[in-house]
Amino acid sequence: MPATSGPLTPGLASFLKTLRTNPIDTSIDNLISLLKRRQIRHSRSCATATAYLLRGVISASRTNDANKLIERVQNVGRRLMAAQPREMVVGNIVRRVLGLIRDEAEDDREGDFNLSEAGSESQPQTPRGLDDPTDVLSARHDGSDRGASRQPLPALTAAPISMFSLLSHPDTENSLPGTPVSASPSGRLLGHAPGKDIRAEVLDGISEIIDELTQVDDQIAAYALDHIHSNEIILTHTSSTTVQKFLLKAAAKRKFTVIHAEAFPNNHEATHATVSGANPHDDELLSTESFQKPLIALGITVILIPDSAVFALMSRVNKVILGTHSVLANGGLVASAGTRVIARAAKVHQTPVVVVSGVYKLSPVYPFDFDSLIEYGDASKVISYEDGDLVDQIDVQNPLYDYVPAELIDLYITNLGGHAPSYLYRIVSDHYRKEDISV
Amino acid sequence: MAAATSTSAKPFDIVATYNELLRSDPDLTMPIAAIEALVLLLTHSPSSTISETLDLLEKSTAHLKQSIPNPIGLSAGTDLFQRYLITTLQRPGQLGPAGDFNAIRAHLLSNGRLFIRRAKESRDKIAAFGRGFVRDGSTVLTNGGSRVVASLLQQAAGEKGGPSAVRFRVIYVLSPAKGDVEGSSAEPEGMETVRALREKGVPVATIPESAVAYSLGKADVVIVGAEGVVENGGIVSRMGTYQIGLLAKAMGKPFYVVAESHKFVRLYPLGQYDLPIEQRVIDFKTEEDVADEATQQQQQQAQPTPNVKSPDSSDVVDYTPPHLISALITDSGVLTPSAVSEELIKIWF
Repeated sequence: MPATSGPLTPGLASFLKTLRTNPIDTSIDNLISLLKRRQIRHSRSCATATAYLLRGVISASRTNDANKLIERVQNVGRRLMAAQPREMVVGNIVRRVLGLIRDEAEDDREGDFNLSEAGSESQPQTPRGLDDPTDVLSARHDGSDRGASRQPLPALTAAPISMFSLLSHPDTENSLPGTPVSASPSGRLLGHAPGKDIRAEVLDGISEIIDELTQVDDQIAAYALDHIHSNEIILTHTSSTTVQKFLLKAAAKRKFTVIHAEAFPNNHEATHATVSGANPHDDELLSTESFQKPLIALGITVILIPDSAVFALMSRVNKVILGTHSVLANGGLVASAGTRVIARAAKVHQTPVVVVSGVYKLSPVYPFDFDSLIEYGDASKVISYEDGDLVDQIDVQNPLYDYVPAELIDLYITNLGGHAPSYLYRIVSDHYRKEDISV
Repeated sequence: MAAATSTSAKPFDIVATYNELLRSDPDLTMPIAAIEALVLLLTHSPSSTISETLDLLEKSTAHLKQSIPNPIGLSAGTDLFQRYLITTLQRPGQLGPAGDFNAIRAHLLSNGRLFIRRAKESRDKIAAFGRGFVRDGSTVLTNGGSRVVASLLQQAAGEKGGPSAVRFRVIYVLSPAKGDVEGSSAEPEGMETVRALREKGVPVATIPESAVAYSLGKADVVIVGAEGVVENGGIVSRMGTYQIGLLAKAMGKPFYVVAESHKFVRLYPLGQYDLPIEQRVIDFKTEEDVADEATQQQQQQAQPTPNVKSPDSSDVVDYTPPHLISALITDSGVLTPSAVSEELIKIWF
């Protein structure tokens, strides 16, 4: 909404500002166009925007029916994910919110499972039509989408042990998924069981996700002293704030050397700024990061090198610490271009590669097609358009990301601790519900 | 083989039932046939107490395992059956507590067909998961006669000229037909799939096993089936899979295994020769041994014994270690090899 956003440049800050004042559907469209125009780009900014938006969506939909909420979130989530499929964090946050709703719904159902049997004929929901104008509005607004998405919900309860699904009793399969549709509205009408406000619980859960997003770097940094030792030589790449915080935490206690590859052409300015401590003109990361001291202020030797020197210096490096754009379920990752070269060079020299990443970047998506994950950026960063002759004659490409296979990574450090790449599937299954993997 | 004679004296012969099940339905996998055989066993033996039933199951399973040359696949089924029974009895729920043993028994007995149907459905489920692995314009290398791989590829091929069809090519590794002594009358395993795929308009090239390394350069992805998936995420599969895995690793091609989760078996082989089966693949002989064998064979031909079927000529398997496997495509999703142990731990502990 240009009217309300005023002088702000479009981005996370302006989005969050207008989220409170705008109706939710405008905000959804707003975020979609921000994502499409890449005016929100950092993983964390995308995640934060998505989480805030979904919180708005949930609080705007005045229903306590889990299935309605799931449908609504799925609907919004699909549109967001379609807007920018390569920002996988958007999908991650959507899936986690869906998981929250499902968890709450199941807790709820266990409570009123027996009671709801009696009134299980679904009665016409007169009250909802009145107290839920936004839902009706949105139904009209994108009627075609909703019509298409109104397929029966996937089985809500996964069998507790998947290997037994073959032999399990047919009743255990059939009874549970069927009941919630009829059970929860009737349960609500009966008005039993205080404190079964699913929506409030879900809103709390989303707030926790938002908290997690703000704290994640500090939580990761808490592991820094376990991994960085005195007099080590650390190589890193790009201006990732997660990595910077990690190094800063260690720098408070230990002296080591950092070799910083500059990540030309997409991130070198930000990297230079991080190294020198000159304030990055970063409008998106509106938090305290910009006031952070650079590593050199803490007496750390920082050596800035061009990307091409990575291999030459790798033999002297003790450890490579990398940030990432997103992490995939097979343990591979998508990170800024140049990461794979570094990981490969580290492999050749048997240097350990450590990746620091918040759990929110961990995507349950299995990378079938690596090429589709790579985004291409502004070619003029490689050769500026002023070199018209050259641009005419050659094809300039500027890939923004690299896919790094799992075998090049030795350790992931997330806010939950350190994990081997082969263990990531476990964290995926802890954080996402199986039925949400394809939203 | 004291147990064998005592059991076969009984009216119900589990080994014969198992073999008969496998023969009657070519779509049946070994674990499912084993489960079916056990279900039929329960139908034939009225046992009222839990321990009696478990005891009977244990004995029959041991007997079945002894009488089949390669019991790895079927042991996945028998283990699953036994664990299901025990776990359901221990867990309070709709079917537990222990008092409801009869309900569980009735459920198992009456739903034999259902299990088979579910097992076949899980193949479709896998095919749906696995479709993403077959990309437009890619070339898939596969081997053996795995039904799951066949259904995956066929589903990817879709209807001929249909909108969902993926355009891909297949390199099919054919091993010589099973009874190679009798000549070429028997066709190699997998020909049926090759024909079905060609019918759907998928270009298929068939190559001998010796041409795998040569052909792998043209392939983008290797997809194989498995007889059993062992605890560390490796697979036990038909002879020749291990070498394909090694070659795929050497060439940097992704190597995917397609298997139903009922094929997970509690086994931790440390190497090729650590499998709990007797395979006479490497058979050292001197001239003397060869001569001995020839005379023995002549004697045998003179007085034919009923046991003419030699188990080692067909169905030899090898073990592909987990580090060669990029991912396992199962009915519970796409798993990394290390996730297999967790699934197994869930049912055993």
